[in-house]
Amino acid sequence: MTTSTIGRPTFRQTLSAALAETRMRMINISRYPGQLMLEIIIPIVFAAMPILLGRANGADAAANFKANTGTANYVAFLLIGANAFTLVSNAFWHIAYWLRFEQETGTLESVYLTPTSSVTLASGVALYSIVRGLTAAFLAFFLGCLIFRVNPFEGDVWLALAFILAGLIPLYGVALLFGAVVLKVKESNAIVGLMQWAVGFLMGLFYPVAVLPPLVRWAALLFPPTWMTNGVRSALLGVGFFFGEWYLDMAVLWVFMLFAPLFGFWVFNRVERGIQRNEGVGQF
Amino acid sequence: MYGQVRIEKLSKTYQTRQRKGLFKSEAKAIEALTGISFEIKPGEVFGLLGPNGAGKTTLIKCLTTLLLPTSGRAWINGFELAKEDNSIRATVGCMLMGERGLYWKLTGRENLVFFGALYHLSPAARRRRADEIIARLDLGELADRAVETYSSGQKMKLAFAKALINDAPLLILDEPTNTLDLPSARELRAVVRELNQQGKTVIYTTHIMSEAETMCDRVAIIDRGEVLALGTVPELKASMNREAVIRIEGVISTQASQAVEALPGVTRAATAAVNGHTQLTVMAQDDQMTLLPRLIETLTAHHAVVQKITPEEVTLEDVFIARTGRTLADDTRVK
Repeated sequence: MTTSTIGRPTFRQTLSAALAETRMRMINISRYPGQLMLEIIIPIVFAAMPILLGRANGADAAANFKANTGTANYVAFLLIGANAFTLVSNAFWHIAYWLRFEQETGTLESVYLTPTSSVTLASGVALYSIVRGLTAAFLAFFLGCLIFRVNPFEGDVWLALAFILAGLIPLYGVALLFGAVVLKVKESNAIVGLMQWAVGFLMGLFYPVAVLPPLVRWAALLFPPTWMTNGVRSALLGVGFFFGEWYLDMAVLWVFMLFAPLFGFWVFNRVERGIQRNEGVGQF
Repeated sequence: MYGQVRIEKLSKTYQTRQRKGLFKSEAKAIEALTGISFEIKPGEVFGLLGPNGAGKTTLIKCLTTLLLPTSGRAWINGFELAKEDNSIRATVGCMLMGERGLYWKLTGRENLVFFGALYHLSPAARRRRADEIIARLDLGELADRAVETYSSGQKMKLAFAKALINDAPLLILDEPTNTLDLPSARELRAVVRELNQQGKTVIYTTHIMSEAETMCDRVAIIDRGEVLALGTVPELKASMNREAVIRIEGVISTQASQAVEALPGVTRAATAAVNGHTQLTVMAQDDQMTLLPRLIETLTAHHAVVQKITPEEVTLEDVFIARTGRTLADDTRVK
């Protein structure tokens, strides 16, 4: 009678649906090549401003920077911060804006009419965002290092990659929390804009979090991107892990990795259910 | 049972806020559905008629699990609403938001294959199904172009194609011929009839009365969240107690006219001279379909020569206006 699966889908079917979502978004964004170029250029331009400020301070800049951060390589420090910020921004925008954009275009109702769960759809969007974000971040970082003549392979590259991957999963859990807010409040731009800058400030975009006031520093440590950024800087530049050893900082990220997505999905599902009781999920 | 829909006292109340000033608002409850109950049989084309704000879209959104009802129960294809929602979604094909439910940067084929994946079709099955639908709806030329290049009517056609991707036993089509030109609308209706003949149940909402009359086995008229009338189109028309009127022109003798007036069910038969021949106006309680053969037989038996027959039928619009006091164009949305 129907070619669709009735009842609970298999893991393979769920994975196939999530990958179809990822693939669809890849196809979609490939038709906006200008947007993809911007994502490589913007972090470089963003980091260039403080880098050039540092250069303007002459030879003392590197020495002073080392005294306060543990590395003289402020160029790589700033490029890492800019690209980590881009990853965080992308996570928030891709998840929150996915919901908002689909509500406006009417496609959110279309996908909610299918038996694929919103968790599966969100996973597909997250995977797409990770692939797109990481590709842009790596290209931007390498291009930035080329432009400013720093060695991108200084330090432990594999450990840096491990910190990035461990930091991304809880990041999307946090992004899903804001997705829930977007579903409820229906105003994505202001919320996402505010949160991305708040998180950017807390994660030490262009400075070590040690320079933040004590209360703000504690708040910063509640965010996975702070641990991710510091982990990458420590692996590549030797600035120093928060707990002194890489495996202790990694353990904290693993705890975030376990709880942040679960908490994000739980909040998202509750908000979704609440909205279904009233105006309906796809309603704009 | 597949194709069957059963609704028991379904209600939906929206909680909203009404602005009273710059910073003040007050809570307001809007009853969109008030205890609706009816059944749709497997294999029928069931029409939903009602003005804007009547509750049609709310009802459809409840049945398709987009909206949770406030109270009441429903079973769609044998699966209970709010308990087996995934199974409901898997066994219903929907065209609800027309061209707005498509990804405009993707091609038509890419849209179909993507939605096939969300219905858990295998990669080969979704491509095969997309090819079948593209061929059936004659979308060949359009299928590999981005949807943003389509006309409104072409987007509606693709939206209809999307509703067919999971080959569901129940189709819910919300104004599917909206913005379609006449040939495309005719073609779509023919496809719907064909699908119905293959055994699919169809819930069809439309503003076009003639479409409801020709497409639907049964029609429900909804207004202000209530079902005001439900039945086949002839039943609804018969419920009007309005006389059928037939005008016959030709050569009709007085005897023939009297014989017609004596027929059971005929209330009046009056003759008049029009353009050199007789016009016989017959009014009856019977509907057109049963009256006409008897009229012609009687006239022929009395040597009348019939040149023209003009029936004046009760239309569904008449039924609608009689039940609701409004036309379909009137807006019932809560102000």
